[in-house]
Amino acid sequence: MTAQPAQPSITPTSDPTLKTPLVRVENLVKHFPVGGGLFGRAVVHAVDGVDLAIAAGETLGLVGESGCGKSTLGRVIVRLQPATSGHVYFEDIDLTKVRGEKLRRTRQRIQMIFQDPYASLNPRMTVGDIVSEPLRNFGVAKGRKAEQKVQEVMRVVGLNPNFVNRYPHEFSGGQRQRIGIARALVLNPTFIVADEPVSALDVSIQAQIVNLMEDLQSRFNLTFLFIAHDLSVVRHISDRVAVMYLGKIVEIGPSDSIRDKPLHPYTKVLESSVPVPDPDLEAARKPILLKGEIPSPVNPPQACRFHTRCPIAQPICSEVEPPLEMKETGRFAACHFAGQL
Amino acid sequence: MQDLRVQFDVSGGPITAVDGINFEIDRGEIVGIVGESGSGKTMTALSLLRLIPEPGKITSGRILYGEKDVVEMTDEEIREFRGNEVAMIFQDPMTSLNPVLRVGFQVEEAMAAHSRFTRKQAHDRVVPMLQRVRIPAAKDRVRDYPHQFSGGMRQRAMIAMGVSNEPSLLIADEPTTALDVTVQASIIELLRDLSRELRAAVILITHNMALVASLCNRVIVMYAGRIVEQGPTRAIFKNPQHPYTWSLLRSMPRVDEVEKERLISIKGLPPDLGRMPPGCKFHPRCKFRVDRCLTEEPPLGEVGPGQDARCWVLMKNIENPEAEALK
Amino acid sequence: MAQAAPVIQPDLELTYEVPEQVTLLTDAWRRIRRNRLALVGGVIIVLLFVVALISIVWTPYPTWLQAVGPTYQPPSAAHPLGLDQAGRDILSRIMGGALITIQVGIGSAIILCLIGIPLGLLAGFYRGKVDTIISFFINIWYGIPDLLVALILVFVLSDALHLIPRGVLVIVIAFSLTRWMDVARLVRGQALALREREFVEAARMSGARDAALLFRHIFPNALGPIIVQATFAIPAAVLFEAFLSFLGLGLPPPTPSWGAMASDGYHGMDFAPHIVLAPTIALSITLMAFNWLGDGLRDAFDPRMRR
Repeated sequence: MTAQPAQPSITPTSDPTLKTPLVRVENLVKHFPVGGGLFGRAVVHAVDGVDLAIAAGETLGLVGESGCGKSTLGRVIVRLQPATSGHVYFEDIDLTKVRGEKLRRTRQRIQMIFQDPYASLNPRMTVGDIVSEPLRNFGVAKGRKAEQKVQEVMRVVGLNPNFVNRYPHEFSGGQRQRIGIARALVLNPTFIVADEPVSALDVSIQAQIVNLMEDLQSRFNLTFLFIAHDLSVVRHISDRVAVMYLGKIVEIGPSDSIRDKPLHPYTKVLESSVPVPDPDLEAARKPILLKGEIPSPVNPPQACRFHTRCPIAQPICSEVEPPLEMKETGRFAACHFAGQL
Repeated sequence: MQDLRVQFDVSGGPITAVDGINFEIDRGEIVGIVGESGSGKTMTALSLLRLIPEPGKITSGRILYGEKDVVEMTDEEIREFRGNEVAMIFQDPMTSLNPVLRVGFQVEEAMAAHSRFTRKQAHDRVVPMLQRVRIPAAKDRVRDYPHQFSGGMRQRAMIAMGVSNEPSLLIADEPTTALDVTVQASIIELLRDLSRELRAAVILITHNMALVASLCNRVIVMYAGRIVEQGPTRAIFKNPQHPYTWSLLRSMPRVDEVEKERLISIKGLPPDLGRMPPGCKFHPRCKFRVDRCLTEEPPLGEVGPGQDARCWVLMKNIENPEAEALK
Repeated sequence: MAQAAPVIQPDLELTYEVPEQVTLLTDAWRRIRRNRLALVGGVIIVLLFVVALISIVWTPYPTWLQAVGPTYQPPSAAHPLGLDQAGRDILSRIMGGALITIQVGIGSAIILCLIGIPLGLLAGFYRGKVDTIISFFINIWYGIPDLLVALILVFVLSDALHLIPRGVLVIVIAFSLTRWMDVARLVRGQALALREREFVEAARMSGARDAALLFRHIFPNALGPIIVQATFAIPAAVLFEAFLSFLGLGLPPPTPSWGAMASDGYHGMDFAPHIVLAPTIALSITLMAFNWLGDGLRDAFDPRMRR
């Protein structure tokens, strides 16, 4: 084992390697009731005690399979959905506590890019109206000034500014996603949550959007939370990666060291499952196949949530929940046997 | 061992979805057809079964299966052909299974509907079929309904239905696109094993190049209804000659990438099938085009052993293509 | 944003892909043109409007003028639809009836929407207690016998309390007060679904206030189904008026209501059927036209968007 002497009290929110955390998520919980109030008290444990910090200017990738709660986590962070408990600090504001007009004001600096470029644009509004709406809502710019701003942003995201009077359904998926990005950028936000921004797009278009987001980040010094199910895209675009399984973060670390040596067995399994476009390498690689099915988030397993499917599970894994703690400098994993798979 | 040969030359109506496709596939071979949405890859596969949705139709060409031409078959012949010789697996297992019937019954029906097995035989084969596609506790799960299965299990049940008549050709249309990667990995393993066990030919239709690398012997890359490049998997991945193939391979980040290089993006959009550009169909998006590409469409010419590409330029004639492409 | 040199190159797709400009309304128009019945319905309704407008300034004879010829006279060259039991020109009265029909139909649709849309929007958008209360009223209202209550309302409002003179307005109000639930329930469902859509979430992220969310994002996208629902409410209102007038509880004579006209001719049906036939045929054609148009609109505004 290469794990350094444990400093068990260090959690992701007290990570000494992060100089200026912009966003801190502390013990965030989001439960949804299912089946209505009449039939028992079943709840979906969508997000179940997440600790996370995002440094100013970095891209944190959040990866996980469908149903792991990654989208919900993103939505709770930007307060599109209220948290069940826990805190989300944006600079000094606790986003879980602000309401009404104050909450609205914070949205000048927090923006979101949505997954589905077909559903995220109002079909009854022109592109110009969509992109300029945030300006009008916050009274930032009006009339000629707003028009200029809209054209400038459209140029930045690679859209022809002459298309301001067109409607969203006249554009392709990639172009629509650019419209969504333009809308998110127009207020000059500091923090952007991107929820699966490329997964609905064709392969040759995905690269356009990924490159665009990288350019925008370096140009405007943005902080990104990039949520996706595709480990390769997440690793490519992110400085650090957080891996989520059944409502919990199982590993956080710099994306290079996660590739070189995943600490959590689930990370390792995910990585081995993604095929590589190289037939020689593929012939040598063997994916680690998981046993069984992903358990229901209504009734997640006790202790370590991965123990029912983990290839290296031991009796302790079903008894004691491993905390998400620093195993190496800047690297966190929630596993009793980190780095052993 | 039966020689399976598929040949096409298809063009449909005023909008040509698939234009002049030629390929063949042998037993035991796994061929990948790669392309984006609208490239004609699904239409190609559907025409193999003569399942092209209205108002499309096969306007020319032959599809030879052994000695038989699928295009010429009578309706009764094509029905038997679909069930017994060729099976198709679709992208979305939820919509392809009837939600009100038990999974086991649906697998049984797939067998009983064709003449290879009697009702009794079909009934007895259901559990072994489900076991064959590695559905755990198959005996208990035959009486489940589709909604009680997870996405991966439903896809397995679909595969069980497909292979239950021991077809010699299995067409899988984006079989893992709706699934998570860990499930995808196990479905791919299953397809690999089945092609070996059944000695069947497999056509994998996908947009995911990496998936092809892990499973297929041969690759066909389609763009705008045409084959732009085809050849042995190794050649295509190590030495792609068509700029589209080359860019596609560099447009997606690799999970094992060490240096974060800038992705090579393909500008613009695939052409609208109703308004095709003149000349090479890829030239509006191509970074390596020459004047000739604007007016003359290149033929599919041999560029290496078993490897063909439809390009006037070819990547081997370009020095330092990465720098050129990122310009 | 600073005036930095453009790092990002505009894409080629701009020059190659110039989308055709199609608004949602022109798209709906295109689809409705393909629907023959809806088109026929539309043409009939336009004709009805034209006739109604003409009747304001001109009818062959005044609609109230009695004894322009022998009573019960069958159709003739001078009176194409004949005369009624009081010797009034039926064609003139049908024309006047068209105006009444349109006032009742359109008026009801408007008032219905004025009640139903705000209630539905509030219930669907705010959910929770607001929704519970509004939904409670919707369900209660569904439980009451609407025809009976509308009848009583007409009686109470104009005869007992003399609040509104017996006429088109009181019928429209009575109808709307008892039939607003369909629209309210529809709008509530639309608002419930739309508020979860990504573009509404995106607007929320853009700092849109509730009013903007409701009127810029949710209401315009629910408009299609609302128009369809309102179109179907028109024939119901027309029928309601005709029914009341037929019973003699609707518009007072000599208002040329089609229902009242049918009632007038009822007793002479065996020897002068034209008196009953003229208004009933006019009524049937009008009802069918609105239903055809409604069906066509429903198909045209199919909630599935293009692509």
